Amino acid sequence: METTIEKTKSRSLASETWRRLKKNKGAIIGLIFLVVLVIAALASGFIYDYDTQIIGQNISQRLQRPSSEFWFGTDQVGRDIFARILYGARYSLSISAGSVLIGLITGIILGAVAGFYGGLADDIIMRIADVLYAIPNIMIAVVIVSLLGSSTINLLLALSVSAATSFARITRASVMTIRGQEYIESANAIGMPNWKIILKHVIPNCLSPIIVQVTLLIGTTIIAASSLSFLGIGVPAPAPEWGAMLSEGRDFMRSASYICIIPGLVIMATVLALNLLGDGLRDALDPKMKT
Amino acid sequence: MWKYILKRLIQMIPAILITSFIIYFSMNLTSGDPAMLVAGEKATPAQVEQVRQELGLNDPIVIRYLKYMGGMIRGDLGTSYVTKQDVFKTFMSRLPATLELSFASVLIAVLVSIPLGIYTAVNQNSWKDTAGMIFALFGVSMPNFWLGLMLIVLFSLNLGWFPSSGRAGFQSLVLPAVTVGLGLAALITRTTRSSMLDVIRQDYMRTARAKGASERRVIYKHGLNNALIPIITVIGLQLSNVLTGSVLAETVFSWPGIGRLIFDHISKRDTPMVTGAIIMCSILMCLVNLVVDIVYAFFDPRIKAQYVQK
Amino acid sequence: MKKRYILIGLLILTVLLAGCGAKKAANTNDLNNDGIKDTLVIGAAAEINTLDLLSQNDQINNIVLKTTHETLLYPTNDGKFLPKLAESYEYTDDTTLVLKLNPNVKFHDGTPMTAEDVKFTLELCLNSTASSSMAGLVSVDVIDEYTVQLNLESYNNEFLVNLASVPVSIQSKKAYDSGMDQPYLVGTGPYKFEEWKSGEFVSVVKNENYWDAENAGKADKIIWKPILEASSRVIALQNGEIDVCIDPPINELDSLEKDKNVTVLEKPGTRLFYFAFNVTKEPWDNKTLRQAVASAINRDDVMEVAVFGKGTKQTTILNRGLWGFYDEMEGFPYNPERAKELMAEAGYPDGGITAKLLIANSSPYTNIATVIQANLKAIGIDVVIEEVEDATLKEASVKGEQELYLWRWNEDQKVDWVYGDLFRTGSSYNYQHFSDEHADDLIQKVLVEPDEKKRYDYGVELQEYLVEECPQVPLYIANLVIAYNKNLKGDYLFGGGNHDWSHAYVAMEVK
Repeated sequence: METTIEKTKSRSLASETWRRLKKNKGAIIGLIFLVVLVIAALASGFIYDYDTQIIGQNISQRLQRPSSEFWFGTDQVGRDIFARILYGARYSLSISAGSVLIGLITGIILGAVAGFYGGLADDIIMRIADVLYAIPNIMIAVVIVSLLGSSTINLLLALSVSAATSFARITRASVMTIRGQEYIESANAIGMPNWKIILKHVIPNCLSPIIVQVTLLIGTTIIAASSLSFLGIGVPAPAPEWGAMLSEGRDFMRSASYICIIPGLVIMATVLALNLLGDGLRDALDPKMKT
Repeated sequence: MWKYILKRLIQMIPAILITSFIIYFSMNLTSGDPAMLVAGEKATPAQVEQVRQELGLNDPIVIRYLKYMGGMIRGDLGTSYVTKQDVFKTFMSRLPATLELSFASVLIAVLVSIPLGIYTAVNQNSWKDTAGMIFALFGVSMPNFWLGLMLIVLFSLNLGWFPSSGRAGFQSLVLPAVTVGLGLAALITRTTRSSMLDVIRQDYMRTARAKGASERRVIYKHGLNNALIPIITVIGLQLSNVLTGSVLAETVFSWPGIGRLIFDHISKRDTPMVTGAIIMCSILMCLVNLVVDIVYAFFDPRIKAQYVQK
Repeated sequence: MKKRYILIGLLILTVLLAGCGAKKAANTNDLNNDGIKDTLVIGAAAEINTLDLLSQNDQINNIVLKTTHETLLYPTNDGKFLPKLAESYEYTDDTTLVLKLNPNVKFHDGTPMTAEDVKFTLELCLNSTASSSMAGLVSVDVIDEYTVQLNLESYNNEFLVNLASVPVSIQSKKAYDSGMDQPYLVGTGPYKFEEWKSGEFVSVVKNENYWDAENAGKADKIIWKPILEASSRVIALQNGEIDVCIDPPINELDSLEKDKNVTVLEKPGTRLFYFAFNVTKEPWDNKTLRQAVASAINRDDVMEVAVFGKGTKQTTILNRGLWGFYDEMEGFPYNPERAKELMAEAGYPDGGITAKLLIANSSPYTNIATVIQANLKAIGIDVVIEEVEDATLKEASVKGEQELYLWRWNEDQKVDWVYGDLFRTGSSYNYQHFSDEHADDLIQKVLVEPDEKKRYDYGVELQEYLVEECPQVPLYIANLVIAYNKNLKGDYLFGGGNHDWSHAYVAMEVK
């Protein structure tokens, strides 16, 4: 019984949100862009062969300007930049979405532990979260990656830290508001395990900020990943991650500026789309903003 | 009030302990032998050993950490492995550059964001709103270093208006500050917009309007003053973030700030320098946050009353 | 409200105006009467770490110290030595070297340099971490005020090089005795240390009382500014913010050469980039397999991608320009067919090897690695590139944990710092962990054989042997490329990058 009510409630929340989101032009533009990008990224796997077309080099046709054959030109080892951008969307999007996901899971667990158990666990977790929150995420990532070495896994871990702290805060706050309320007490009384309580009550309670935060953090993380590439500690070559492409191109700023400019514009468009969507969601999900 | 400040200062201590612990141990537990780096490319194993002795790297890590913390209590952050200079002195010599860049970029962000935030709030849901927000989001949607490179090519190379790098007077501050500042603009604009939206619908605004004050006066005088608290929070947060977070802009513009200091010395496994600099940064950031909290009190009498009661 | 807008407008206007003024000010700053620009500004590619001669080892520190300090002998570009602080030197027997000092030399504080200072400096060096700079020295005796005798362990051909190396520049005993702060900054050079602002610049000023008036400095002041981003550094040169740009980005040389105010100089370098194996790790203990890999690498492509072809392909393991350099052996030029044959001969007809290639996370290694990765794939070797910090690469290599790696070696003076350091059994820089009695024997012979002809032959034999054994695949020597203000005069550039700026200056055009 209870579940059906929740379902209808959440369905109506979703449709209500969608209704409001549709009014936001920026968010819709962002959403369309992202959908197209994801489809293109998925399709690129069927269109291109990774070994020959994405990382395969062809020194004879290096540094060619954008043309009808190479829409975005070729880079310093003769690879088609357009193909690498499309294929690179898989890396950039999955690395950032992946690290946000890792951050989301650890954040929810830590936040819930801190919220439910309180006391020392709360103190320790939240103190560490405060410290990590105070240090800019790029600095945390720099420290972690340069100490652990730059592999894709370490990159994911490093980028997930700041996401984890922010989700831990959101979850803890949500736990604090519902803790002590009757239905939680009774759920406890009938022996419902904590993780079920978290899934059924805590997360739905803070779903809006989580959704908004996820959207925005994916954008931030794309930028952070590209920044690490710029500092020389990002995704290892020859993967066509956008940030790596951009930093490889920075020595060509004047002789072949498109190598640097195109990935930069793509990153900008993607992050902008995510930000517009995130902002739109924030407005649509936040009842205070109802007009 | 003083009691409150004291309490906040004491709360900083565990944060600093945790930071120093995490940084010190992670610097030491990863690969890359500092002695080998200091001794140089052509050193013999005996020399590497000698350097290790000199740096005290033969002690167990716990002892080393305790020694380091012991020094810290006496106000001694140690000596850099690489430069052999006092860490605190080096930090302080880099601090002005960092503060300069941080304040300048926050100033630029504020100059852009607050008018933009108000503009979008007043025109909520119109195309002006959308255009304004897209504009505000540009800065945060670009990789910082990329914007920096583009600005250098445009304003330094092609137009010759500003120097491309280094820190020599006011002109050299402009490009780095714009680069960092535009990255901060989005959040401040967004906060300004939403807190303005909150305020715009309040009763006293209606009263002011009814009293016949001009719309502009209503918005700026009554609206902005009341919307200011969340904006200040965000500005404070941003300020503490740019203190160490501008490592990329510092790299692009060769700005001699703290972010680059830390980054350079991480790769050299210079534990005292990295730990010391990060500790100093966290102290600084806590202080900034404290100042922000105190500033609130002056803008909001209710909060002030709370502090005084305590 | 209007006031606020006006205020903001004014602010923006000031910013713009100040910006416009910037360039003019930079260009007209400092002309003194003799047509020499007061200050020479050098844009460095690395951060200056420390100026304590004996506890530093980075090239950039050395370059700064070359203007403030001087060595007993002075190396020339062709591997010979000119007298500097020492007027003459003589081996009285195999293990005794007597130096006569120039009696006119004065330190920056005006005190004359004597044999005591030389003895003090050399002993300071022996007790420091730079003691390898003085390897083979047993003790120093003061004969009279301007004569010192160096007692050596045994004869070796390259001891004199040590006396010309920057860390062994002569320091003032008086300065150390006085207990002053940073006594190591007192030298005898044509420039005096002025200021070091961490991360910003190091400046030195002309020593007006320099002992050798004929060779005194020209510019009043020299400043080194670290600008780590190559693209920013070259823009700074074109804007006139700096006069010299070390390591300009090689792919922008074409556009740079079009700039009328800039000279781009390219000359053969000494820095050898190489690919190497840890020969103790299976399957790389297999010599034929190593040779197969060497034949599979397309060095033309490597060089094209890494340095736009601005370098010299190389077969031998010795740095070009060093004594006894020999590059005529056949070696293993790019030949995919032969590579496949060698693969079959080594027992891997179908390839099927996966290996980790450890590289430093900076250019040109990333570019080199991607080419080699593609090359080796063609003979059935899957290469996984792992990028790490320099520190991690060195440590892994010393411990022998790496498999394949890319590294470089820059030496422009001592051949033993190539043969001995990189290939002698047990040497800490023998990252290949190569151990071979025949090679060790030849290395020792090259070091101690006094007869030049015989020594040369041993050197050639050694190089041929090492190429054949193939613990290392030499790739190319990068050219030295440097860009500077077209009016720069009196520079003295070294292929290895250890430039001497003591007499460089920018001549101002008279309008």
